[in-house]
Amino acid sequence: MADNGSPRIGVYVCHCGFNIAATVDVAAVREVAEGRPDVVVARDYQFMCSNAGQDLIKQDIEELGVNRVVVAACSPLMHEPTFRGAAEAAGLNPYLVQIANIREQCAWVHHDRGPATTKATALVNGAVARVALHEPLKAMRANVTPATLVVGGGIAGLQAALDITTAGNEVYLVERRSTIGGKMARFDKTFPTLDCAACILTPKMVGADRQPNLHMMTLSEVESVEGFVGNFEVKVRQHARYVTADCTSCSDCVAVCPVSVPDPFNELLVGRTAIHKAFPQAIPSTYVIDRQGRSPCMEACPIHQNAAGYVSLVAAGRYAEAAKLIRRRNPLPFICGRVCYAACEEACSRSKVDEPIAIRGLKRFVMDWEREHEPDPQPDLPAQRRPEKVAVIGSGPSGLTCAFDLAQEGYGVTIFEKHDKLGGMLAVGLPGYRCPRPILERDLDYIRKLGVDMKTGQELGKTFSLDDLLSDAPGFGFDAVFLAIGAHRGLPLGIPGEDAEGVVSGVDYLRTINLGLPQTTGKRVAIVGGGNTALDAARTARREHAEVTVLYRRTRSEMPAEEDEFADAVAEGVRFDYLTAPIEVLVRDGRVSGLRCVRMELGEPDASGRPRPVVLPGSEHDRPFDTVIVSISQSPDRDWYGNGSPSAKPALAFTKWNTLDVDPQSLATPVAGVFAGGDVVLGPATVVESMGQGRRGAEAIHKFLSGMALEGFTSHMPPAQPGLGFEERPYLHSPTYSKMERLPRAEMPKRSVAERLTDYGEVDLGFTEEEAKREALRCLHCGACVECRSCEAACPPKAVDLEMQDEITTLEVGQILVATGYELFDSSQITQYGYGRYDNVVTGLEFERMLNSTGPTAGQVLLKNGKPPRAVGIVHCVGSRDEKYNVYCSRTCCMAALKFAHLVKERTEADVYEFYIDMRAFGKGYEEFYQRVLREGTTMIRGKVAEVVPALGQNGSDPHLLIRCEDTLIGKFREIPVDMVVLCSALEPPKDAADIARVFSLSRSPDGFFLERHPKLDPVGTTTDGVYVAGCSQGPKDIPDTVAQAQAAAARILTLISRGEVTIPPIRAVVNEALCGGCKTCIGLCPYRAIHFDSEAEVARVNEALCQGCGTCVAACPASAITGAGFTDAQILAELAGILAPVG
Amino acid sequence: MVTTAENRVPEAAPPDEWQPRIVAFLCNWCSYTGADLAGISRIEWDPTVHIVRVMCTGRMDPTFVAKALELGADGVIISGCHPGDCHYQEGNYKALRRVHLLRRLLKDFGIDPQRLRLVWVSASEGVEWAKTANEMAREIRSLGPMRADA
Repeated sequence: MADNGSPRIGVYVCHCGFNIAATVDVAAVREVAEGRPDVVVARDYQFMCSNAGQDLIKQDIEELGVNRVVVAACSPLMHEPTFRGAAEAAGLNPYLVQIANIREQCAWVHHDRGPATTKATALVNGAVARVALHEPLKAMRANVTPATLVVGGGIAGLQAALDITTAGNEVYLVERRSTIGGKMARFDKTFPTLDCAACILTPKMVGADRQPNLHMMTLSEVESVEGFVGNFEVKVRQHARYVTADCTSCSDCVAVCPVSVPDPFNELLVGRTAIHKAFPQAIPSTYVIDRQGRSPCMEACPIHQNAAGYVSLVAAGRYAEAAKLIRRRNPLPFICGRVCYAACEEACSRSKVDEPIAIRGLKRFVMDWEREHEPDPQPDLPAQRRPEKVAVIGSGPSGLTCAFDLAQEGYGVTIFEKHDKLGGMLAVGLPGYRCPRPILERDLDYIRKLGVDMKTGQELGKTFSLDDLLSDAPGFGFDAVFLAIGAHRGLPLGIPGEDAEGVVSGVDYLRTINLGLPQTTGKRVAIVGGGNTALDAARTARREHAEVTVLYRRTRSEMPAEEDEFADAVAEGVRFDYLTAPIEVLVRDGRVSGLRCVRMELGEPDASGRPRPVVLPGSEHDRPFDTVIVSISQSPDRDWYGNGSPSAKPALAFTKWNTLDVDPQSLATPVAGVFAGGDVVLGPATVVESMGQGRRGAEAIHKFLSGMALEGFTSHMPPAQPGLGFEERPYLHSPTYSKMERLPRAEMPKRSVAERLTDYGEVDLGFTEEEAKREALRCLHCGACVECRSCEAACPPKAVDLEMQDEITTLEVGQILVATGYELFDSSQITQYGYGRYDNVVTGLEFERMLNSTGPTAGQVLLKNGKPPRAVGIVHCVGSRDEKYNVYCSRTCCMAALKFAHLVKERTEADVYEFYIDMRAFGKGYEEFYQRVLREGTTMIRGKVAEVVPALGQNGSDPHLLIRCEDTLIGKFREIPVDMVVLCSALEPPKDAADIARVFSLSRSPDGFFLERHPKLDPVGTTTDGVYVAGCSQGPKDIPDTVAQAQAAAARILTLISRGEVTIPPIRAVVNEALCGGCKTCIGLCPYRAIHFDSEAEVARVNEALCQGCGTCVAACPASAITGAGFTDAQILAELAGILAPVG
Repeated sequence: MVTTAENRVPEAAPPDEWQPRIVAFLCNWCSYTGADLAGISRIEWDPTVHIVRVMCTGRMDPTFVAKALELGADGVIISGCHPGDCHYQEGNYKALRRVHLLRRLLKDFGIDPQRLRLVWVSASEGVEWAKTANEMAREIRSLGPMRADA
């Protein structure tokens, strides 16, 4: 038996036949080794890895007492286990063996015998010096979790999963798409047998579905992998499917989905609905909703109105459903269809093509249609009434929305309105020509039907106080209050003479006109300000027959008024004087007689980002006016507070703009149970912004009354920049915006100007049905699902769940098979072949779908014009065997091309030409198939295609394509006229192969495919123990090879499962606690969190099971207290010294 | 034998001419495998480069470099996985940090920092490894023996 004490080293130099001996003088190397210290024997031998070679080592251990072994041979990655095994068999600890790599890193890469021998000698010297310091190590063992992860549900992953589960083990099959089956499910026939792909694949898919120990996770992606062979911890994200397993595959949902997006399963040749099943035999058979983010229009809307949803329903002519969908989230649909500032249109992706969809006009169309066809729409009443009562103060947009939402939740809601008319600013601020009163009434009616009590003439601070509301006094006794009293006070200019008769604020002016109170509009009216209210006042004054001039201190481009409003105002004869500001109201006999104005110029930008207007010296001038309407801004009225302040402390808080200071998330005031929203919080805001606040207020009040914390709100606060994620295209598989057809936006018809000025009749006349439909058809269906919820209503088993969320699952598995497949080369890169430019140039996969009975042409070979082709050209090696793209051969294309030729012959009368470089019919039955296709009359032309160009027949009609190429067999240039060109595109690694490689610690070969452990001897293993590869993710291959590799991987996996345990190399960090100073430097460096600090002993401790042996901590330890077993400082330095020792 | 132009090993030098000695520390997972691939593919590289295997470049104690130079090496290569691809997640970043400091230190000692080179070579980059070794050998030949620096 060997003695592990003082070193007795045996050195064995391998000839490896001529592999080493041809370049390295092995005898010389042996001779030098013989002279090194501690070496008791040195030998050279022809094949050390042979049994006889190994026996030499065993003999020397047994007979000469050799206790350290150096083998100078091939790479340790090759035969280290062999020689360690030999040593172990002779009773020597296997870690007392060191390999000097004199083949891969010496003999094979040098040609000059002298230097190669010198180097080999140095490497052996290094190994000898190192091995002398080796210590016996004990490999650790760990159990193997029998469950296995298979990534990719194509034929490779599927086959392996079936094999492993059939043997009685658990498999988690993770597939990114909604169905398993991979690329094979999209093929029509398979070569050379012409089996139908589905016929041989779907039984396996169904089998996988039935296998109880096969856990299928579709729409899922692996996020992270931790641990080591036998014991991996894997995190998988399962994307929401939005359809539960209750789905019966009845397809009723598909009939009602108004969306159409290009179908990736059919290579984008046809459209499909947002709710769909990839193909009829998909597994799982549960439908799925394609939802790639929320439409920008919806995201931009403060009340989250389903704009894309109702637009899509209008396009489908389903107006009643559209109205119902609008009403679902919008308590004021008639108002919004007319006066909303339409953030949705600003965000609309269509504006990246031409102009945004006229969403507001479409909403108006739907609601007008409803008014015509449904005189008395009924809301869904809440299932149960709640006992709590809520008071809403103010009946403007925010108050009404809050009341609407709370009433739907079942609360008893009472609205208190100061004026005699309901609607807040909608009633007193909006001119009738923008929003006719019957329209507002219809919205109010609908809210009343929910049971909301609306009281008018009830003024806070006068007829009741905040304390009253919360008291038990009769008629009160509310549990919560929503203050939505708006901002009705016009801000003064702050110039002399402003209190003269004839000076009025914009809001007051509009209110008196709207309420029909006496108001004298003069003949010459000045409007000061440039906002929407200013323009409303201006246009109203025009209808009161005045000459109107708007004075604005900046220019049109800084004016906040909306473009539409402005255009209408100009059309109606309103004059605009820019860069003009009043400095004094001129007064005669107590009444305004004009304005003293100055001219301005624009200076540096101010805090609002707009250029600051600067007075031009000496520009003072007087302008005659008899009425001045000041409309620069509004603030809330706070006079009520003095009278109605609540006794509760802390009291309400106000900002310096007189708005209420509330919590920005919950809208809660400092008084418990009192919330506030709308203009009283925001200052003058738009209708829909106020509605958004009403909605948030309702959510907060519901939480408050249900005893929940005021956090985690789900009602919407639109981001500053909505619609992100749709920069390039509206949907993952859509063409980019720049490639889309431009379609003009519908213009809404208006009354003539002359007619308009005679009364307060509505200016905009609304779309006709035809206009609305055409406009709605412009919608791009951003992100596919438009949330119209039609499927939800149509689903008999109620399986649609739009609220479903992604789920993260943690799996414990012992081994992992990566079978993530390939992508097709983008043939449009080879521009001369015309793919993407000419209609009838198609890729192989597109052609495959065309041939398939469930494909876009139901299996017929047809040109884009619907006619059968007269001649078809099939081009091999598109993007393969091409220095510019991929140098490798894609291996499947020759046979696929021959299959195409056969199928074209079978299904059409067309002539078929194959353009090939070399015909590679290497597999079983392949050459025979080639011969068969030749016999069928396909013309073979040997030569790479130069270009495909469009051409016309002799009479100038009959468009077709010309394929130009050199026929290398006859040495001539040829032009072949065809109707259709099929490009056999290269197989490439998926775009995200690098990310996949990172997750699973895989290496990639130069072509980008995953690298197997050994190109010949281990084609399924990888450099990471316990992780295997199969199928096209490892390199292009056909179905038989893929299945064979998958089964090989399954066999490897089963081997380890049945062994039940793995040996883990003892390359680990070890702490010498006597030396450890407790500095903790190592702890932060460890990527595996394997080191922890024992605070009692004040030393670092390594968890052996977690340590992977990288040695980072060893290098960093300032006290040299950590040793890397197998790679100690002393061993590495000894190896260095040996290599660098003078050769002698 | 595959030998591309940029990869060509200098013609065999006369035996009495000075030959550098270069030590290369290669991580087990990417670079050592990459160097093996160069061998399997018979891509020639300079015989003055001697490889020492470590599990990870994160194992590189700056002492190893100092010791190598002290013991007579004229140049040192450290080669690991590409950033983001480290078998041990981030050991190569640790190496990167240490090499930055070490090169500064070498300069202070009057040693040309070009004598230390940190590179990333993946398991599939046999050609890159050969190129690296040849470039380093060329560089060290032009710098001359280590003792010229000190």
